[in-house]
Amino acid sequence: MNRRGFLRSSAVFGVGAAALAASLKPLLELKDFSSMEKFLQKYYREMTPEDMEKVLTRITHEVERQYGLRPHVQDLKPMDGVSFVYALNLTRCIGCRKCVHACVAENNQSRSPEIQYIRVLKMPHGSLDIEKSEHDYNPEKVPEKGFFYMPVQCQQCKKPPCVKVCPVHATWQEDDGIVAIDYDWCIGCRYCMAACPYGARHFNFTKPLIPKDRLNPEMAYLGNRPRTQGVTEKCHFCIQRTRAGRYPACLEVCPAGARKFGNILDPESEVSKILATKRVFIQLKEDLGTSPRFFYYFDV
Amino acid sequence: MMNDNKQTRLALVVLTATFALLAVAFSLDLFGKIAPVQELPLVDRELLKTETWRRSYADLVRSKAELDDFDCYTCHEKGKKPVLKYDDKQQLIIPDEHSDVVMGHGTHGRNNNCFNCHDDENLEQLQPRDGRALKFEQSTMLCGSCHGPTYRDWEAGMHGRTSGYWNRTKEGTEQGKFDGPFKKQDCVNCHNPHSPKFPGRQPAPPPNYLREKTPSDSSHTSH
Repeated sequence: MNRRGFLRSSAVFGVGAAALAASLKPLLELKDFSSMEKFLQKYYREMTPEDMEKVLTRITHEVERQYGLRPHVQDLKPMDGVSFVYALNLTRCIGCRKCVHACVAENNQSRSPEIQYIRVLKMPHGSLDIEKSEHDYNPEKVPEKGFFYMPVQCQQCKKPPCVKVCPVHATWQEDDGIVAIDYDWCIGCRYCMAACPYGARHFNFTKPLIPKDRLNPEMAYLGNRPRTQGVTEKCHFCIQRTRAGRYPACLEVCPAGARKFGNILDPESEVSKILATKRVFIQLKEDLGTSPRFFYYFDV
Repeated sequence: MMNDNKQTRLALVVLTATFALLAVAFSLDLFGKIAPVQELPLVDRELLKTETWRRSYADLVRSKAELDDFDCYTCHEKGKKPVLKYDDKQQLIIPDEHSDVVMGHGTHGRNNNCFNCHDDENLEQLQPRDGRALKFEQSTMLCGSCHGPTYRDWEAGMHGRTSGYWNRTKEGTEQGKFDGPFKKQDCVNCHNPHSPKFPGRQPAPPPNYLREKTPSDSSHTSH
């Protein structure tokens, strides 16, 4: 190789290397590389209690670093002899959307862009046709004459289509009926969103934004711990509350007492009595065979 | 052999040129940037409160509040039955002293007699139709004396608001880690006894769409 050849090829190589580096620039915009610990983390259902302990410590530190607030992260297991059912009284619901916002506050959803688990549909009287519904109503006062309101959230189906399509088993049905998601196992393919007939699943297109003073520090692994960009999330019956024996947040805030929740295996529970004595109740889109655990009923 | 060399060189030149073009494009942001996430307004914390929208007399008694306003016999005379006045449409005329009372219990103004529920002989008591005398704190029993099915539902927790624990401590059992008390509300914590139908209220803000609408667009949609 002569001098001229060397100079020429090194110039070309230099430009090429610089161009390659510059063309990879968009990678610099990637933030939040997951830690090695998270990367090597096991699947939720294969974790031993010791593994889980470590994971909960990791999450506690991550949340503390990000939000400056020490959370109380738990991994609550299903209780024996408990199968959850939700019942919603369509006669009582006034469409005030308080449940929507109580849910966001409880479950640490992203505020911008907005993720909401509950969508309240305004429906004309005399029809259950969702095609006729409207979800961005904003009149001076609710309820409006001639309409009823139907809040829709995850129906916690007994035959969940979202679970069937998940290619990595990041979502599954727990023994108490809650369809849970392991956010650290989700690959963000969004098949579950396409499969869900209720529009219950939501995707974190960007890094979720939660103001520090709005973070709920009472957290559960399968529940309301902060999510990352690129994972799916949905209603989980407030796992951090209900598996500790409490009512879900949407129920406690409902000013009309339209929402009822409990253990269907307990004959004394509200939901058992509602399903046994109320004359009309529907499962949304029951013709699809998903068999929701979420029932809509009417006062007779 | 010569041909191979030429092809390699051509491929290298094309690759270099492509990378160089991409580099220029990225540094000039020719492909456009990701739109910044718009910060949406936060919801009013008032909407997140779980308290009932009105307080009942029983609540006031329990919280040991000032009850002077509820002493009937500051104005009324003991042992003298108040006289009700009606207009020519047989509707009750509410005296100015009780102007805060809105009569709206029952349809067509048929329930227009104070003493269907209040005791005219002792104004500090309520009287259901069966002749019992009830204190104001026991108003739920009075409601139940007419609204039987609703009272039955309320007793079972099917009607009205509940809060606390769904996994409740059964009577006589000790409270465990995951069970505890639960609270039912009295009728009058949610319903105004003189006008029990819920008044309309402003709904909480509707959803904001991702880059479809700005929050300012979500003004009142008329129907």
